[in-house]
Amino acid sequence: MTLTAFPPPPSGADHNDLRQEVRAFLAEELADFSPEKRAKSWNGFSRDFSRKLAQRGWVGMTFPEEYGGHARSALERYVVSEELLAAGAPVIAHWIADRQSGPLILAKGTEEQKRAIVPRIAAGELCFCIGMSEPDCGSDLAATRTVATEVEGGFRVNGTKVWTTYAHVADYMILFCRTGKSDDRHGGMSQLLVDLKATKNIQISPIIDMAGEHHFNQVIFDDTFLPSDALLGEKGEGWSQVMSELAFERSGPERFLSSFALIEELIRLLRQDATEAQQAEIGRLSAHLMVLRQMSRSVAGMLNVGKNPALQAAIVKDLGALFEQDIPRLARSLISRPAVPGGRDSYAAVLAYTELAVPSFSLRGGTREILRGIIARGLGLR
Amino acid sequence: MESMIHDMAERLFRDHVHHRLRADAAAGQCPETLWTRIEEAGLHMALVPEEAGGFGVPAAEALGLVRVAGAHGLPLPLAETLIANAVLAGAGLALPRGRLTIAEDAALRLERRGGALHASGHLAMVPFARWADRIVTIAALDGVNHVLSLPVKDLTVTPAQDLAGMPRDDVAVDLALTDADAAPAYRSMGGMRGLGALVRSLATAGALETILRMSVEYANDRVQFGRPIGKFQSIQQYLATMAGETAAARAAAEMAAGSYDTAAFALTVAAAKSRSGEAAQTVGALAHQIHGAIGYTEEHALHHFTKRIWSWQDEFGTELDWNRELGRAALSSPHDTFWHFITDSTAQGVLT
Repeated sequence: MTLTAFPPPPSGADHNDLRQEVRAFLAEELADFSPEKRAKSWNGFSRDFSRKLAQRGWVGMTFPEEYGGHARSALERYVVSEELLAAGAPVIAHWIADRQSGPLILAKGTEEQKRAIVPRIAAGELCFCIGMSEPDCGSDLAATRTVATEVEGGFRVNGTKVWTTYAHVADYMILFCRTGKSDDRHGGMSQLLVDLKATKNIQISPIIDMAGEHHFNQVIFDDTFLPSDALLGEKGEGWSQVMSELAFERSGPERFLSSFALIEELIRLLRQDATEAQQAEIGRLSAHLMVLRQMSRSVAGMLNVGKNPALQAAIVKDLGALFEQDIPRLARSLISRPAVPGGRDSYAAVLAYTELAVPSFSLRGGTREILRGIIARGLGLR
Repeated sequence: MESMIHDMAERLFRDHVHHRLRADAAAGQCPETLWTRIEEAGLHMALVPEEAGGFGVPAAEALGLVRVAGAHGLPLPLAETLIANAVLAGAGLALPRGRLTIAEDAALRLERRGGALHASGHLAMVPFARWADRIVTIAALDGVNHVLSLPVKDLTVTPAQDLAGMPRDDVAVDLALTDADAAPAYRSMGGMRGLGALVRSLATAGALETILRMSVEYANDRVQFGRPIGKFQSIQQYLATMAGETAAARAAAEMAAGSYDTAAFALTVAAAKSRSGEAAQTVGALAHQIHGAIGYTEEHALHHFTKRIWSWQDEFGTELDWNRELGRAALSSPHDTFWHFITDSTAQGVLT
């Protein structure tokens, strides 16, 4: 049963020297970060931080050197990623570009696209957003309605994208849209590279989330013209290109470390004095975390040798979301201290922040139900 | 990961371990012929060095045999014999022929009576003791752990069994030991309890894979409301949950197997026993839900596997025991942050 086999990460995957370098860098850069600020890690936006990280060679690590990358392994990149998230570094300014847009452009882009964009990603200068979801197509991506019609010199795009994280500050969007008709439900789709700063007739408006924060946006394309060289990869191959991105999107440590700031707060309070029952719960939490990390690193190892572990990635994301969503419940079962948004007590503030964040963990990047549908199909359910 | 010895074991068990054999074993009949085949193939020696009769494969691969055996519900002490031989070889003791088993550490009193060593006390829930030739355990003498090789014929065995009907016997010990039967342990390795927990985690991972496969097959074959029940989203979600738990159990067990003989073993085995036991609860419950009433019968094969995984949860330290141990380590670790504890917990140092 290969679906349930996660080969151990290759020996030497610890890369301890690199890990210590990253820790030293973060200790300095994040010295004045409060626990509450650390809790926002994945949603923290700092171009300055991303550029500094890139100067150390820790953005675009796996990209080839000729495109400004560092030709390092997926496992070395993994070490940097998990250290950033565990420390609560503000990473979203480069994260999506580094994780999936850059690798996609390298795999499918033209030489011109690679030369124009990838080095700037590796320099930590470009923020990417993902143009997939629409008002009438969330989980059902094949129902995409946004259309790019071929016109002289390029495409004319009409349609609306939603839940587009950080579109309001991003430099580029990779737009998933319809470019033709097809009998196959998954046919006729393409990906277009949209320069958000240079393109006219794109309206980006905020969608405030229930925590009161602005990450999401609605992005309206209204007769938007994109030049022919915006096409990324093959016309009509958008579906398979998107599917190959998902193993990168779904398997990383951001899929189980989202509540990590709360875990650190919880452990800090229990360190002084813990009952046997509290010890056991922390042991169970540790076991889950050790195993998730092992599985996630296993997927990094598979990516590193050119496999497409999309099914294993779906498993990691499903298990990871269950784990990170359970942390507020676990914290409440161990410590009697109310959540206080913005409170002076860091545990109370982090609990409040995390509690409001957790519903999104099993929605973003593929809902729990979609992931389980993918896993079920992988099991051979006819 | 392709492995010749796993393939060999897979073929052997597929041909010879079937429902009748498991049922007969649960009724008390030792499958002697099958054990002879295992010995002929040399599987029981896989974890000892090549010069002592092993295959010369990495420990993690040799231990993988336990997962394969678990996947077939093998009613014989292969895992126990593998571990016992490795522990005896490590202590420089002779490797006896026949079936061996292991018992948790520190249950016996070891002392010098005159010139000879004497072991006495009581061993509870010893796996397959009545079918074994020797029991290997660890006891302290003057603060030094000693590996003991106890001949079962000189012990008093009172039969008892686990949920799956497998022998888990009570053993009374009161005998003088020769130099050939006791030697200082070469290292702690978390003792017999840790090694036992490791093999139970691996066997659980294998059994869970079989339970998942049986459940997928059943969901594809069983028709209700005019279609296979596997077409229903609720059943698909159950099976996907089972796959995730099964994958986690296997990754956990293989993480511990991969750190066999390293400093990381003490914590990885705790995580493995805890995580695989939790998976056993979830997967077992969902498998029975999917199979419906037929899966609750003696006639159906499912119970041989679910009873085993539930029994293994309690052996060589319960989940609660291992969770406490891991939690205590996390909360008392000298690391600045919990994260540093987690990354170090799987780092492979060499045990000295």
